[in-house]
Amino acid sequence: MRNIPDEVVRVENVSKEFILHHNRVDSLKRRFVGLFKQRWRPRHEHFHALSDVSFSVRQGEAIGLLGRNGSGKSTLLQIIAGILKPTSGRVTTHGRVAPLIELGVGFHPELTGEENIFLNASLYGLRNRDVRKRFDDIVDFSELAHFIDTPVKNYSSGMYMRLAFSIAVHLEPDVLLADEILAVGDAAFQNKCHDKIDSLRRNGMSIVLVSHNEQQVRDFCNSFVRLENGRVVESGTFKTRAVHSR
Amino acid sequence: MAAVSFRVPMPKTIGHPRIFASPPSGGLRSLLAYSDMLKNFVRKDIQVRYQGAALGFLWSLINPLVMIGLYIFVFAYVFKAGMPHYPLYLMAGLLHWNLFSQITGQSCDTLIANAGLVKKIYFPRLLVPISAVTFNVVLWLLAIALLFILYPFLGGKAHLSLLAYPLALLMFLAFTFGITLILSVLNVLFRDLKHLVDVSLLFLFWVTPIVYQYHRIPVHLRDIFALSPLVEYVLIFRGILYSGHIPDWHITGLAFLWTALSLTAGLFVFNRHADSLVEHL
Repeated sequence: MRNIPDEVVRVENVSKEFILHHNRVDSLKRRFVGLFKQRWRPRHEHFHALSDVSFSVRQGEAIGLLGRNGSGKSTLLQIIAGILKPTSGRVTTHGRVAPLIELGVGFHPELTGEENIFLNASLYGLRNRDVRKRFDDIVDFSELAHFIDTPVKNYSSGMYMRLAFSIAVHLEPDVLLADEILAVGDAAFQNKCHDKIDSLRRNGMSIVLVSHNEQQVRDFCNSFVRLENGRVVESGTFKTRAVHSR
Repeated sequence: MAAVSFRVPMPKTIGHPRIFASPPSGGLRSLLAYSDMLKNFVRKDIQVRYQGAALGFLWSLINPLVMIGLYIFVFAYVFKAGMPHYPLYLMAGLLHWNLFSQITGQSCDTLIANAGLVKKIYFPRLLVPISAVTFNVVLWLLAIALLFILYPFLGGKAHLSLLAYPLALLMFLAFTFGITLILSVLNVLFRDLKHLVDVSLLFLFWVTPIVYQYHRIPVHLRDIFALSPLVEYVLIFRGILYSGHIPDWHITGLAFLWTALSLTAGLFVFNRHADSLVEHL
């Protein structure tokens, strides 16, 4: 194993402030007309998506970020992924972080499944030679061997998701950031997804799962953080967690 | 620009998520680690663009060839430019202009076109403009290769100054890349910039002595025309490929200055805004 400290994700006093634009100045025309017309002038409003959020994730731990729509949990996930920068506070992560915020990001419909595997994996920083080593595993897991050389525009949505999910779990991430997605496809395939994730966790992968569904979080995670209006209102651990053992 | 910045300044100590087991030590290092992404990206763009086209890659040649044919007809036959080897004169300037106008014309869209990606996955943002530039350069290589194949037949002679060509090209590309960086960022903030760029390119084409000779510009206007950085580059490329000598030091020096300025400003603007751009896409 790589040398990874016990704590793989550390979120310290993270706050995120968005500026809500009313009459956004997104064109030169607007800016110019705004000089003369009050109605066209932009107004800003500061919106606190996250306020002073702290928690940490240990190796092999699965933590659920619970909260209603708009509570800031997805923003937090984007900050951990490095997509957004916090306004203040600090996030440190160790190892490869694979954001599974949306499945099949970067898939091009005209490219074949095979080409998309290489394209998609490289977006996560994997070298082509490393993908080549995992290629058979990815195809086997997705059960798409017969279709791997056809363009993904001809895939059904289930096939599309299976391929995307298969790539994500074969990136061998140290931290998987998931937005409500931890299993795709039919019941049988979903079981396979669960088994794969459990085996990855036994090998030390950590999960941060964003969900508004408490049952889903209970099924997957051993601890949780509940967000409300961008603040942590509750955090704790679940007693019963069958699959995972350290 | 104040309208889009954070009210609370971002502290310098924000930890960047580490994508690799060994933390990337610098910008260049992490860019290199993503070199396969660049390769896959460019390959994808080319594949998608010419998929199902019978002539495939050759299409990228049709447009410049038609343009060259038309200019030769208009300027050499209708206006009787009366210049030896006019086709070579024209191509030396026009092909490099094409490279510049294609890259800058598309640069505005690159970040917006890849918004879905940039919002969902973290990778060094610089890769988006780099891959757009690389894509255009790859397509353009076919045209410039054709020029070098036809070179002896167009009246070109082998000179020592030809050895300076790769260096001049590199300098020109660096200049163009800097412009691209600035435009791609600005276009996210001002979405109608693209139209302004299109018009400017048209204007720039005609104030640059590409289809006509530099000395045809009235003397009192030359200083104004010379403000366009493209003038220096066109003079350099034509000097190397047509006249067989590298232009005076004040022209090459000015071109070098433009490159340094454009690249520095471009990288500065891009790095400064790359992180917060996501919120505007």
